Amino acid sequence: MRNFLKIAIGLAALTGAALQAGASTAGDLELTITAPAGAGGGWDSAARSLQEVMMATGEARSVQVVNVPGAGGTVGLAQFVGSAQGSSDQLLVAGITLVGASISNASPVDLTQVTPIARLTGDPLVIVVPKDSPIKSIEELLAAVKKDVATTIWVGGSAGGADHILAALVTKAAGADPSKINYVAYSGGGEALAAMLGGQATAGVSGYGEWEGQIKSGDLRALAISYPEPIDGIEAKPLKVQGLDIELVNWRGIFAGPNVEGKDLEALKAAVDNTVKSQQWKDLIKARGWSDYYAPADEFKGFIASETDRVRTILTSIGLAK
Amino acid sequence: MFEKIMKAPNRPALVIALALFAMAAVTYWDASRMAARATYGMNASAASYFVCLFFVVLGLGHVVSAFQAASIEVEDIDMKAIGWVALALAGLIGSIWLGAGFVLGSTLLFAFTARAFGRRALLVDLVIGALMGLVIFLLFNKLLSLALPQGPLERALF
Amino acid sequence: MDAINFLIHGFALAIQPSNLIFAAIGVFIGTAVGVLPGIGPALTVALLLPVTFKLDPGGSLIMFAGIYYGGMYGGSTTAILLNTPGESAAVVTALEGNKMARAGRGGPALATAAIGSFVAALIATVGLAFVAPFLVKVAVKFAPWDYFGLMLIAFVTVSATFGSSPLRGLTSLAFGLWLGLMGLDQLTGQARLTFGVPQLLDGVEVTTLAVGLFAIGEALYVAGRHLFKPEKPIPVKGSIWMTKEDWSRSWKPWLRGTAVGFPIGALPAGGAEIPTFLSYTMERKLSRKPEEFGSGAIEGVAGPEAANNASAAGTLVPLLTLGLPTSATAAVMLAGFQQYNIQPGPLLFAQHADLVWGLVASLFIANVMLLVLNLPLVGLWVRLLAIPLPWLYGGILVFAAMGTIAANPSVVELLLLVGFGVVGFLMRRYDYPVAPAVVGLILGPLADNALRRSLQMSLGDPTVFLKHPSSAIMIAIAAIALVLPFLFKGLAKFRQDED
Repeated sequence: MRNFLKIAIGLAALTGAALQAGASTAGDLELTITAPAGAGGGWDSAARSLQEVMMATGEARSVQVVNVPGAGGTVGLAQFVGSAQGSSDQLLVAGITLVGASISNASPVDLTQVTPIARLTGDPLVIVVPKDSPIKSIEELLAAVKKDVATTIWVGGSAGGADHILAALVTKAAGADPSKINYVAYSGGGEALAAMLGGQATAGVSGYGEWEGQIKSGDLRALAISYPEPIDGIEAKPLKVQGLDIELVNWRGIFAGPNVEGKDLEALKAAVDNTVKSQQWKDLIKARGWSDYYAPADEFKGFIASETDRVRTILTSIGLAK
Repeated sequence: MFEKIMKAPNRPALVIALALFAMAAVTYWDASRMAARATYGMNASAASYFVCLFFVVLGLGHVVSAFQAASIEVEDIDMKAIGWVALALAGLIGSIWLGAGFVLGSTLLFAFTARAFGRRALLVDLVIGALMGLVIFLLFNKLLSLALPQGPLERALF
Repeated sequence: MDAINFLIHGFALAIQPSNLIFAAIGVFIGTAVGVLPGIGPALTVALLLPVTFKLDPGGSLIMFAGIYYGGMYGGSTTAILLNTPGESAAVVTALEGNKMARAGRGGPALATAAIGSFVAALIATVGLAFVAPFLVKVAVKFAPWDYFGLMLIAFVTVSATFGSSPLRGLTSLAFGLWLGLMGLDQLTGQARLTFGVPQLLDGVEVTTLAVGLFAIGEALYVAGRHLFKPEKPIPVKGSIWMTKEDWSRSWKPWLRGTAVGFPIGALPAGGAEIPTFLSYTMERKLSRKPEEFGSGAIEGVAGPEAANNASAAGTLVPLLTLGLPTSATAAVMLAGFQQYNIQPGPLLFAQHADLVWGLVASLFIANVMLLVLNLPLVGLWVRLLAIPLPWLYGGILVFAAMGTIAANPSVVELLLLVGFGVVGFLMRRYDYPVAPAVVGLILGPLADNALRRSLQMSLGDPTVFLKHPSSAIMIAIAAIALVLPFLFKGLAKFRQDED
């Protein structure tokens, strides 16, 4: 209980401080952030966290979150591209799933059409096997894939999502044909977890945070994470460290509308950058269990282009895109 | 006499049979267009073909039943009332579509529906509907911070 | 026993005045929200999440527990009184419950729902406290082939909702299955029946269909008949309270509903709807007065409502022990845990024992509060029917629209809602039952996914269903349940012929 009290007191202090700060230096921005997903999901909570911190730090006078769910975010993106043309007060939260969804749904819009402001967070994916699996290391998993790609059953989140992409990358690295991968898609990490614990699958992929409990309790054996560098508090080593040239980060970022330029763009960049550099933001992402993966607008722009190419290549190789 | 006995062949059953065949055809067309992509096991189109077959069987069943001596009672219907409810729903969809906001939409929805059930005091009902819409809007926007569709009215007020 | 000590400790935590207040607020909001058609507990919890971020974790989770149980209670109220289920798990309740309400027995129907929910939630919460770790081990063993077997059993039971004509019932079911095809296929990412409309890629929401078919279809139907057959619902006829006969016909369904609801709720992909179908069928088969089914049998309300609430508690089993959310509300509650950096899962009971047992204790308290809140409300709710029809239906439509818009503010969604309303109207007019369509939409995709996942794991070998005893047994039960009525009918006919 002491821990909770600490958190509670910390939070109370944080909100108190936030309110004061908000009262003293309110910026002029009145923003609308579009979360291209329903209330309660990852993008929604990212959008609402930004809302909270931007108002608390006074980077914006008011922030409103609008949820536009549908089709992995492509419905919200399409609407945003239409309505935020050159707009100085609209932002969009998106991530790697939206890159994949635009490609596999053959959506007419994608993230290269909006203006990147900043990359915010990035969470590692983890590759696991059940605790009594004979597979003890990533090399042994690769060997199993190479030996018989069909009977190596993978489970994870939805088809074409980040989990599926990582499984395909590993299959390819093992020297097997990624289009022959036996990937059983579930609606999310939760249902896939049940299939892992029930021993119906050879290996599973999910966001590390979703399966952290089972990894720490020993019910699942983590073989590797997909983050480029080791992370404090995560025992599993990155694929890169284990000699495989694979990295995949479940990143989230923030975007402005198409053709936002000049002073408008600078103002939005400054507001987001100041927010992300604030102590409140650092505390908040820690409390949510997210990893900081900040990149400023210019770097983020190049990143979007390379991610789009990379995801398209791998989705084509597993037959989910043409 | 508001009820009449349908004489064979039963026309509604035939119409429904036709609708079922049409839906089966659409489903078949959609399924046949899917690129086969499951590497192992069954394709996503399998369920479509199953439903398609199900529709055809049910359609045939309806054709048979249409020619059996049936005594389905079909009541007369007050088309004017239905028209008002339809107008109410159209008012809601129209005002969301055209960006006129949630409050106006729910006002029209409430007042026209009440009209369908025989209320004549349209003005009173418009006011009640507007108040109701406003309270709901405020509740969502302020208390739950969920943005319901806004129009000029909502933007002017808040 | 350790668990009992922990539970006593949990009660000490839960009856702190501040936590009692949180529970009361949660219960109140949950009931209020559950009563509104189309806006379910998941949405409310999601929206309240940022608000409660400022509370301490114990308090806010206790409040969520109250909302969760409250929402499950509230959903039945409009189903019974207005034939407008507030959420999909209350669809079955509407079948008998609304017939009772129309005959002036709305009071007993609401009472048996409230007490049944209480009994079910009480037993299921005890189950949650003591058998959760064991139950979850069984639940994760449930493989795709087992789910397929369970879906087959559920499909067979659907016939109980068919009404007078199997042909019309099956047509309604097929319509639901067809809607279930719509959207991106979960296994392959392939779009089915979306006709290039991106908003259809996520498929048809069960709530949109249920609210459209029931609430809007009903409003159109009643409006169309209003002039010729003015139907004034009778608020109360006879006792508003349950009679002795009502009690004696209710208690067994409560217990049976709980027995069905809790374990299925605990399954990672069980859900709250399937137990209600199963319970309804079971009560119909076991009732001493099966002829009353279809015209307002109290067993048909008592059983499904108990099953619904027991499964709500069952859902917490995988959530707390695995961190596995199996319903939309549970998913949001998981996010609630995570915002305090608490990861539900195998270590939760060990690391945060006081929080977990505080939560379990709060569930007991929320449950008692719900009963205290709801029984006196029965009289008030029944008065809802005394509202003049024009305002009553105007209000229903506004709330139905609000729920849909709040969940997904898109014109496509509204058009679907109204389209389903028109279909619901036509189905009522030509005497097609609407419930099977909702059942088809729920079960169709589940059965489809379970079937194809099984075949994918077995590399296309169909014997996978018979190789595993558990799925083989369930498939056999389904087959027997399907064939047996025909056999009986044949036998009866045969005997008649002999006479």
